[in-house]
Amino acid sequence: MRLLLALASLRRNRARTLLAVLGVAIAAAMLLDMVMLSTGMRESFRQLLLSRGFQMRLTPRGTLPFDTEASIAGATAITDGLRARPEIDLVSPVLGASVHVLRGDSSITTFAVGVDPSAQGDYQLASGRDATAPNSFVANDDFLRATNAKIGDTLRIAAGFDPQLRTHSGERALVLAGRARFLYLAAGQLAIAIPLRTLQEMTGAAREDRVSLFMVRLRDPGRIPDVKRWMRSALPAMDVISTADAMARVDERLSYFRQLSAILGAVSLIVGFLLVTTLVTVSVNERVGEIVVMRAIGVSRAHVVQQIVLEGTAMSVTGALLGTGLGLVTARYLNAILSRFPGLPAAIDFFLFQPRAAWTAIGLLTACGVLAGLYPAWRAASLPLARTLREEAVA
Amino acid sequence: MVALLLALQLRTITIDQRLATDAHLRVGDTAVISATTGTDGDSVTIAAIVGRRADPSEIARSEYRVHLHLDQFQRLIGYGDRVDRFAVSTRGDAAADSAVRAINAAAFGFRAYRSHEIAVETSETFAVVSRFHRAIGVITIVASAVFLLCILLLKVDERRRDVAALRLLGISRRSVMLSVVLEAALVSVIGSGVGVGIGWVTSLAVNWHYQARYQTPLRFALVTGDIVLFAVSLSLVLGIVAGALAARRLVRTHPLVLLGR
Amino acid sequence: MTVLVRARDVRRDYPLERDAVHALRGVSLEIVKGEYLAIVGPSGCGKSSLLNLLGAIDAPTSGTVEIEGRNVGTLGDREVTEFRLKHIGFVFQRFYLLPILTARENVELPMAEAGVPPAERRRRSAELLRYVDLGDRARHRPSQLSGGEQQRVAIARALANRPSLLLADEPTGELDARTGQEIISLFGRLNDDGTTVVVVTHDESLARAARRVVHMRDGEIVQDGVPHG
Repeated sequence: MRLLLALASLRRNRARTLLAVLGVAIAAAMLLDMVMLSTGMRESFRQLLLSRGFQMRLTPRGTLPFDTEASIAGATAITDGLRARPEIDLVSPVLGASVHVLRGDSSITTFAVGVDPSAQGDYQLASGRDATAPNSFVANDDFLRATNAKIGDTLRIAAGFDPQLRTHSGERALVLAGRARFLYLAAGQLAIAIPLRTLQEMTGAAREDRVSLFMVRLRDPGRIPDVKRWMRSALPAMDVISTADAMARVDERLSYFRQLSAILGAVSLIVGFLLVTTLVTVSVNERVGEIVVMRAIGVSRAHVVQQIVLEGTAMSVTGALLGTGLGLVTARYLNAILSRFPGLPAAIDFFLFQPRAAWTAIGLLTACGVLAGLYPAWRAASLPLARTLREEAVA
Repeated sequence: MVALLLALQLRTITIDQRLATDAHLRVGDTAVISATTGTDGDSVTIAAIVGRRADPSEIARSEYRVHLHLDQFQRLIGYGDRVDRFAVSTRGDAAADSAVRAINAAAFGFRAYRSHEIAVETSETFAVVSRFHRAIGVITIVASAVFLLCILLLKVDERRRDVAALRLLGISRRSVMLSVVLEAALVSVIGSGVGVGIGWVTSLAVNWHYQARYQTPLRFALVTGDIVLFAVSLSLVLGIVAGALAARRLVRTHPLVLLGR
Repeated sequence: MTVLVRARDVRRDYPLERDAVHALRGVSLEIVKGEYLAIVGPSGCGKSSLLNLLGAIDAPTSGTVEIEGRNVGTLGDREVTEFRLKHIGFVFQRFYLLPILTARENVELPMAEAGVPPAERRRRSAELLRYVDLGDRARHRPSQLSGGEQQRVAIARALANRPSLLLADEPTGELDARTGQEIISLFGRLNDDGTTVVVVTHDESLARAARRVVHMRDGEIVQDGVPHG
């Protein structure tokens, strides 16, 4: 009966209820988007970092992976030292460099990673073979589109370019062995992977056996703090970055979005709360007579409160459910805008949908709806019966 | 005395405020700089500490900035007599165009660009953020429009007894409607005025916070005349529409029905 | 004869900013089961205040009101609400039906509150609507009913939980003479069927229909007896 009464009350002013539900839906959509933005970006980055199971990165001191051209010398010895540790499962030394695909008079510049194909964590092979042979490489779709190359083609690739003399250095003929999806690259970025030794020879890094970073996978993630301590003392010229450290740096860089999401999320909640409170208050004021008569004929105070709170809750829940759908659509649109952020891996979703985010948004708004109805409900249920009946009769 | 003589011979560098704070460096201090860790470097004197420019591309970049004399830097990093780019100042806009054309025609191994072409590229981050803000802005405007419409409808609806009384007194539909619409419009304008005030105070807080956070003189939130005009006009239009819709419904309903008889 | 309501030296003051309005100044009254009582008097004489006390809607400033042997002034809000629900039926001048519910649903409301099962509610609401000659109007909303019909639905609602006492405050005040007459005869029929009825009224014909009339003036009972004429 109470639900029937609540729904009937909402139906009484359809236009008003519809507008309120629409308002709550937009607030819910915004709230969901902001919850997704605050948690999704982090989670998406974490998933990306751990996608190949490497929990630690070793970079030249003071740098982030591929942030500068700084490199680490003596890579083979370091790799062997790391692999000798029983806690370490896999070590992937990586060299990053810009290389040029030569085509007659012109060239196409692309990013290249030099890796050990048996231990790499930078790409997933999509088709063809991996770049296991010294004169082979794999490339991403953007590279294939830009160069019109097909698997099996041989391309002339150079590592250095002197702009004044317009000459290339470190040139090699490499065979395209396969197509790969690179995990950490920005959208539209051309990329290839070459066996580490080959790229070192092409760039001249071979002389000092240089690499840009090491990726390390532990057998037991619980040992990260111990291994980190050991690495810091054994390899003082390097920064040891665990997934948690990387997350902290991302948090710092993207703190603006977290703050924005917190502010806009709070504003959405306040708007939803105000909307429902105003509507329920006005609706209650309009039917003080009815409410007092209900109390007079024996309807308990608790039941009057329940019925009015139900009205607010019904509006909030309907709005929140509608808003969830709307929020997912707007999140896709907003994600498309932010995915063009320069330098960020294309695989990062700023708005990652997690069921928890949806439940949080719906839960918060429902709680708001309940709270919003409580005050007007309590006020209405506490009206002095005799006096209000007299006033209503006069009105 | 020896230290003083040594200092006089040293080359000078400038460092940014963050580095000065973090490394406890002051003007006149001596430091050693090198291209790679663990290698020998040059001793230098800190000649100045510089603040960050109001440059969007520098936002959220946490690395330190050091300025060296060109020849010293080239030697330190083994760059030979090479540079990454030249900055060229011209006399006026037309001169810049002809200079770019002339350089590109004669250049061998490099290209000239207008400054704003470079700026577009380097401020891509901000362009993305700006597009994102615009999208959020549109959603916020739709939400506020619905909110405003709802509140104003309620506000006018609240006047049903007054409207009934006026109608029973013989006041024409037109006059009643006008007065209701006028009231809604007035409420909207006063509300948006208060909103502009809150927005202005908020923008001060936002600028204060982010300028301190990113150590930049950039202004992050601006309340401009255009924005104020847009906000006030939007709420005025919404006020009039909501007022007219609600008032039309009220004046078309029989006064006795409005009174609940 | 069983006494159903006993009011003893009841006073009710309404505090104003400086002064107080003395709506009832020591009223004592006994109503026995099966009685049909009308309370009459000029406006502001305290009729409605007395009715509110008899119906446990209000509590006296001093004195006691006992209904079915229980001093209702000492009951807490929850108990007094439940007492009203199960023992007292109210009929108001302006009907106060819930406009969003049908006639049947309005009658069912107090039963739902009292926890009567739905099937029983439905059966009894149909029976009550037939009793007030509105069996065919069960699905109509108040806005689709005339004033007299609305008041009859309100009477059916007041009878929903088989109250021992039916109170009516100016039940014909909003009705024309012919419709008012219908309501008066309905009250007569109810009393004949054993319901104790107390009405507050200005309507002389309604007062005449009662078996006992209490006259009030300035918060006091000035006359208590059978109706004239």
